Amino acid sequence: MLEVERLCSFYGRAQILHDVGFAIAPGSVAVLLGRNGAGKSTVLKSLIGLVPPRAGRIRFQTADIAGLPPHRIARAGIGYVPEERRVFADLTVAENLETGRHPPRPGLAPWTQARLFALFPALAELRRRPAGRMSGGEQQMLAIARTLMGNPRLVLLDEPGEGLAPLMLRQIEQAVRALRDEGVSLLIAEQGPAFARAVADQVLVMEKGAIVWSGSQAALAADAPARQRYLAP
Amino acid sequence: MHGFFFLQLLTGLATAAQLFLLAAGLTVIFGVTRVVNFAHGSLYMLGAYLGYSLITRAPPTPVGFALGALATAAIVAALGAALEIGLLRRLYRAPDLFQLLATFAVALMAEDLTQRVWGAEDLALPRPGFLAAAVRIGAARFPLYDLVLIGLGPAVYLALLALFRTTRWGVLVRAATADRDMLACLGVDQRWLFTGVFALGAGLAGLGGALGLPDATATLQMGFSSVTDAFVVVVVGGLGSLSGAALASLLIGLLQAFGIALVPRSTLVLVFVVMAVALVLRPHGLLGRVPDETGRAAMPDLIRPATPALRALALAALLAALALPFVAGPFLLSVATEALIALLFAASLHLMMGPGGMASFGHAAWFGLGAYGAALAALALRAPLPLALVMGMLLAGAVAALFGLVVVRLAGVYLAMLTLAFAQIVWAGAMQFGEISGGDNGLLGVWPPRWLGGPVGFYFLALALCVGGALVLRRALQAPFGYALRGARDAPQRAAAIGLDITRLRWAAFTLAGAAAGLAGALFAFAKGSVFPTYLGLGRSVDALLMVLLGGIGTMSGPFVGAVVYTGLYDALLLATDAWRLVLGAAIVAMVLLFPQGIAGAAARRVRA
Repeated sequence: MLEVERLCSFYGRAQILHDVGFAIAPGSVAVLLGRNGAGKSTVLKSLIGLVPPRAGRIRFQTADIAGLPPHRIARAGIGYVPEERRVFADLTVAENLETGRHPPRPGLAPWTQARLFALFPALAELRRRPAGRMSGGEQQMLAIARTLMGNPRLVLLDEPGEGLAPLMLRQIEQAVRALRDEGVSLLIAEQGPAFARAVADQVLVMEKGAIVWSGSQAALAADAPARQRYLAP
Repeated sequence: MHGFFFLQLLTGLATAAQLFLLAAGLTVIFGVTRVVNFAHGSLYMLGAYLGYSLITRAPPTPVGFALGALATAAIVAALGAALEIGLLRRLYRAPDLFQLLATFAVALMAEDLTQRVWGAEDLALPRPGFLAAAVRIGAARFPLYDLVLIGLGPAVYLALLALFRTTRWGVLVRAATADRDMLACLGVDQRWLFTGVFALGAGLAGLGGALGLPDATATLQMGFSSVTDAFVVVVVGGLGSLSGAALASLLIGLLQAFGIALVPRSTLVLVFVVMAVALVLRPHGLLGRVPDETGRAAMPDLIRPATPALRALALAALLAALALPFVAGPFLLSVATEALIALLFAASLHLMMGPGGMASFGHAAWFGLGAYGAALAALALRAPLPLALVMGMLLAGAVAALFGLVVVRLAGVYLAMLTLAFAQIVWAGAMQFGEISGGDNGLLGVWPPRWLGGPVGFYFLALALCVGGALVLRRALQAPFGYALRGARDAPQRAAAIGLDITRLRWAAFTLAGAAAGLAGALFAFAKGSVFPTYLGLGRSVDALLMVLLGGIGTMSGPFVGAVVYTGLYDALLLATDAWRLVLGAAIVAMVLLFPQGIAGAAARRVRA
């Protein structure tokens, strides 16, 4: 589904990503772990095209998407939910969903407002509310739902659990599972391992802009030195 | 009295409708693309000229008129789309002043081309019966057409609201207004969205131009005069706010109708007073909001001590300047004197705009005040040249210090517009208080004294004062003051947190820039032997902007290069061709596209690379 090879990205003259490489299988969930500043967000931004990579290849399905503008990458089937959520504050929930709408893709059940309201019941009641007047958790659900309106095959979630109450966190986890059951792949950036433990098929650990450890969840649980080295606060 | 009130009310409403049609497109375009479209007035002008051609060819019936106006709107919309695709699309990531520069160049070219197509004569629409009809109101007659306009304004407003609220396109446009990058990540190709918005805004301008024909004539000057009006409406209403533009149109239209009826001398000043008051009370306009500055291209800003090569180059230029009077004829010498004055003028604006982060559209106010101050000192007080120069500089500096107290609290386009308003007020004052300023006839006979040794002596004086002054400004920027100023521009909150008094820093820079521009103006008065209100006009403010932007805002040598290139280009073009607007506009567009960092900026990059 997604193959990343020797990806290098820069902010101005500063190199942030150094030869990042990994692959995601269809319908699986990969979690990017690492401390603050490890480069997780930059990986996601490079994939969606907000930070065009200077070197490396990004193969999505059959096409090389490295260097394409964000709207072409999104249309190719990658959805991106940024860390700051970036819902359109003046637009209502229904209007926010409309901004993400794209035609269905073969082999995926198309997302409709009704199906998304079933996935996130809290949004159904807020349909006409401006997104700026919702709680952080509600905005997070809206940001995910808005991306799903484009019927993506791969969703990039940047710190979806950040700053959320435990109850909200559980709802987001459930949504992620539901998505995987639909056949959608996910790449989730997280600072703490808690969220990953719940959903990850594959864990990628980053430090200083490079992937330093990868493997299954069970392997990470068994590898105490790695956790100590890369993830201890 | 009732009759008078009602009539003025209707007049005001008709003016408001006209203003709204003019300004709606500008605010819509700004709201989405963040482009301050200086060519908006030119689109309006094209609407008037095209409207004239189409409507006079259509049958002289209301339906013919309406179809003519709609066809005009469609054609101007297509031109707007072409403008967006051909030019502005390449500049969205450039600093916003570059878009202004580019659209200004388009306005110059449009004026020239319009003159070539339609001629220099004003065009007045013939008035068939349905346009000349009037209704009786009390003892007076009110044009029926103006009543139609009063209905059309709100109709267009409601149609636009419906477009933005209920269509998918409108929802996407509103989303793009808030966060374009996020919208792109959702798979929306914003380029076509922007093109569409530009076409819509241009079409509205074209419609406004055509609908304005029955009440006015199509003139070549209307491009620049109407864009000022449109800016005022949009700024008072809040940039990007459609409802704000509607409200501001209403406010200004009514104030104009009643103001002119009650205080006829207020005509020129009133609108700008409204803008000044509105911006002081509400720094982001009536319905505007604090702009989100994320995603803006940061100004490249590497002000360093000059490299040895640059020093050598500067020394060579100075030696050439010193040698010039011994080889140049009188004409070249006078051009060189003007270039020197332009240099100080540009350097003073650069201080404000670059390191100070305060773009001014009214920098001519200080230049003109300096010129008037020096001329009045020389003529009325019989002050000798050095004293007159000092008095010109002090007048400009003192007024800048006072005005600065208010204006430095604003930011961005709002600050630029308030400075424009102030310059227009000063200009109007110079026009209207002829007892002191000589009005349109200006002040004549301000010549340097004989002991200075004629043009050559004056050239050396200008060389000493202008280059000296510019070097003083340059030195100030490499002092702690300059670092603090740039810190305050780039990160105001952090600068405040480490104990910098931002308002005071900006005020000091504003005052310093005003005084330096005043000295330039004072010298200019003696160089020309006269002072006219045009010294205070928008044209001169734009000259300064162009020089700074051409040179490159992020370099210290920028204003030097920009002033010399611009003055040279301008004078050469004026001599060489009657199409100077066209050529100058095309040259500016080419430079903006080729050197988005300015000439000196581009050179500096090349050297570093």
